[in-house]
Amino acid sequence: MVAFITADSLFGPFFRKYFYYYDSYPLVIQIAIFLTGVAISTTFIAYSSILFRRGRGYLIDVRTRKINTFLDNLITDHIIFNEDVMNGVAPHDAELDITPFTKPVFKQKWVKQALIDRLMYFSSSFSGDRNVLFRRLFVELELEKLSFKKIKSVFNSTKILGLVELTSMGIAVADVIILPLTNSRDRKLRSEARIAYIKLSKNDPFKFFDDATEPLLLWDQLELFKIITTTEGLTIPNFARWITYSPNKSIVSFCLKLVMHYNQSEAIPAIVKLLETKDHYLRVDAINCLGKLKAEGVESHLVAMYNNQPLRCQIEILKALGRFASGNQINFLRTEFIRSTDFDIKKNAARSLISHGIQTKEIVQNLIDTATPDSAIILKHCMNPLIKY
Amino acid sequence: MKTGTYIELVGEFYEGSVFIYGTTLLIIYAILAILSLTAVRRFNVLDTRIDYNLLLNSKLTPGVSVIAPAFNEALTIIQNVHSLLNLNYPKYEVIIVNDGSTDDSLEKMITEFELIEVDFAYNERLKTKAVKRIFRSTNSAFNKLIVVDKVNGKAKADASNAGINVSSFDYFICTDVDSILDRDTILKLIKPVMDDSKKRVIATGATLRMANSCIIEQGFMQRVVVPKQILPRFQEIEYIRSFVMGKMGWTVINCVPNVSGGLGMFDKEIAIQAGGYDPQSFGEDMEMVIRMMTYCINYKIAYAIRYIPITLCWTEGPATIKVYGRQRSRWARGLAQLMFAHRKILFNPNYGRLGMIVMPYNFVFELLAPIIEALGLIYYVVIIFLGAINWPFAIILLIFVYSYAIMISTLSILWDQITYHTYKTWREILTLCVTAFFEMLVYHPLIVFYSLKGYWNFLANRKHTWGNMQRQGFGQQASRTRVITATN
Repeated sequence: MVAFITADSLFGPFFRKYFYYYDSYPLVIQIAIFLTGVAISTTFIAYSSILFRRGRGYLIDVRTRKINTFLDNLITDHIIFNEDVMNGVAPHDAELDITPFTKPVFKQKWVKQALIDRLMYFSSSFSGDRNVLFRRLFVELELEKLSFKKIKSVFNSTKILGLVELTSMGIAVADVIILPLTNSRDRKLRSEARIAYIKLSKNDPFKFFDDATEPLLLWDQLELFKIITTTEGLTIPNFARWITYSPNKSIVSFCLKLVMHYNQSEAIPAIVKLLETKDHYLRVDAINCLGKLKAEGVESHLVAMYNNQPLRCQIEILKALGRFASGNQINFLRTEFIRSTDFDIKKNAARSLISHGIQTKEIVQNLIDTATPDSAIILKHCMNPLIKY
Repeated sequence: MKTGTYIELVGEFYEGSVFIYGTTLLIIYAILAILSLTAVRRFNVLDTRIDYNLLLNSKLTPGVSVIAPAFNEALTIIQNVHSLLNLNYPKYEVIIVNDGSTDDSLEKMITEFELIEVDFAYNERLKTKAVKRIFRSTNSAFNKLIVVDKVNGKAKADASNAGINVSSFDYFICTDVDSILDRDTILKLIKPVMDDSKKRVIATGATLRMANSCIIEQGFMQRVVVPKQILPRFQEIEYIRSFVMGKMGWTVINCVPNVSGGLGMFDKEIAIQAGGYDPQSFGEDMEMVIRMMTYCINYKIAYAIRYIPITLCWTEGPATIKVYGRQRSRWARGLAQLMFAHRKILFNPNYGRLGMIVMPYNFVFELLAPIIEALGLIYYVVIIFLGAINWPFAIILLIFVYSYAIMISTLSILWDQITYHTYKTWREILTLCVTAFFEMLVYHPLIVFYSLKGYWNFLANRKHTWGNMQRQGFGQQASRTRVITATN
């Protein structure tokens, strides 16, 4: 109502001037005339925005192309082809001429940002000595101060930008600055802070695992997995610590993946304990991990719990037995293949039997000869090298 | 009571109802425009910082099955399968379901991809027409390919279900074998699934566009061009409005009603539990999504359906009125069928947003809209003949509706421009903007007419037979693809 009154006081005189009978029109028609004006104006604003966006995009493209060529040439001449480094001087001791990067053009904010972007790009493309030089240039030009300033911004998007810049350039950041951000409510900030923490923290890079209250999304796990497995000089802890104590299920699940990757057999007791969890998705992950770690010692434990498990866990137990391929559970697998009416159980029992190789060759052949056509085809499916899954 | 009074009463009631109906619709469009802008801008900001390449080298990348049913696609199938085999994703399989083609589609695939028949354990989790044979390639270059040869099921749904039965991974993408996919389609569609911890993302979709005038080589998009033919150009605007404004708006409040049959990624477990695609349905894509949502609500699974505003799929739109009419009648019939089949959900608060927003919106503003518009036209004619029309007011209202429609279309084009910079020239954008002026006058009446025809076919329970949709193909000879059409 208030909006209409305001609108009337604003636009009323206009309509009265140009639509002589406007005041005598029914309310519906008055609203229609008013909204027609809004629609036409919005349409023209939209046209202008399209025009502006495309025009601005074009100009930014041209400007960025031009400055990037300029920056790439400077970086190539002074950093990549640094004479000292090419002559074998250690990158920390090499002479770094930063004068070309202090020309007046670099006083402009957008040029500084373009330089940061190019340094990040080169930093991700090179390793070793050149990376040290990129980092030195970044620090000597005091660009890291800009990044730290961004972290202190009130806007999360700016904070993220700062974190990404510091992470990419490998600049150390105090734990007290990053740690609170690892539990931020902003999903992207949280994710970048966790990456930064692992990459930059000098004390305990995995400390945020202890305090993480927000779940680790699958995408976060993907990013963290890459950072953890590719960051040089990172001390890898025993992930059993979080498998045992973390109340955050996503952290436990992620640690199981890391245990598999680093083949941490010392984590097996913690994983066995996890088999008692009520969350059967987590139990599936645990069984999967044990299978991939080839923890043969838990074979009989898995078989013993088999009958009380939901289908997902049963399938994972069958897979694990196939991965162990110890020969101790051939009868169990054979019985499951014959007994079960569930397609997935049959298929996984068959696959695990076949993965025993020569030990089960005769049994498998015998099963093919005696089984029903449907069961025999499952065995043939699993034996066919052209079929992967 | 005099006849004139009756007409006046009916007229007043109709005018009042239409006023409420129209106002509500305009408000909904305005809300959708705001919501979609928020979603598009948010996507734009986040997407620029996402390194999709992470998925390419990770052990944690989820597997995806790409399912593409094919019926008599011999002329284009080889290059289309090649393009599906060259998608940018490390862990996926391509399942081509040859749905009883009567041409040499299968033979061509056997020769080109060095296929041999294998003993494949087919688990019929979803009931389909008989699967005759399953082929795998002996050439390791094509080890992602599975070809299923089945008895014709007279519906894409049946073939898609067979593909789901064969699939190995937890997520599947359903597409048409003659659609052109962006190389990064899987990367982009799996992202929303991996990005939600509170809800299970059961389906994701992306924008579809017309491929009619685009330059396509070896099954891949080389240059996106606004359709030169008028009918596909109208459809281009309609798709932009529907996907970029409509579905992006709905995705903000988790009320996406449908994931297009042309391109969508689905959670296989939920899709199977919900019964898969219904071969009897004329709108099998929307029907399955509604059933998936219903399943989640019944089993108290917190679900989400997500849309992304970027175009990942181009499809050839009907270029003739005849083919277009068949397609739209079929869609309208599908909607009517769906509403009837799921009438218990409609306005049912037990189904949350599905029962109180998704279904009511589609019932009132999608299903009933053509009927109300047609009645409006009749009403106009009657009052013109009776001399009861107030011409100045009628013209003011028409101008209002017309300008509002143009505004919505133009805003959709603007929103689209935020994420989609593929049109190279100003002229193409201008063409789209100008086309929006004729849409309401030329294109919209066609939609109304063919929708009413679809409803009539549904009410009269007319049988359907397989018609032929003449496709131009992409720089090739015409191929023939079937569509369902209603006949006596």
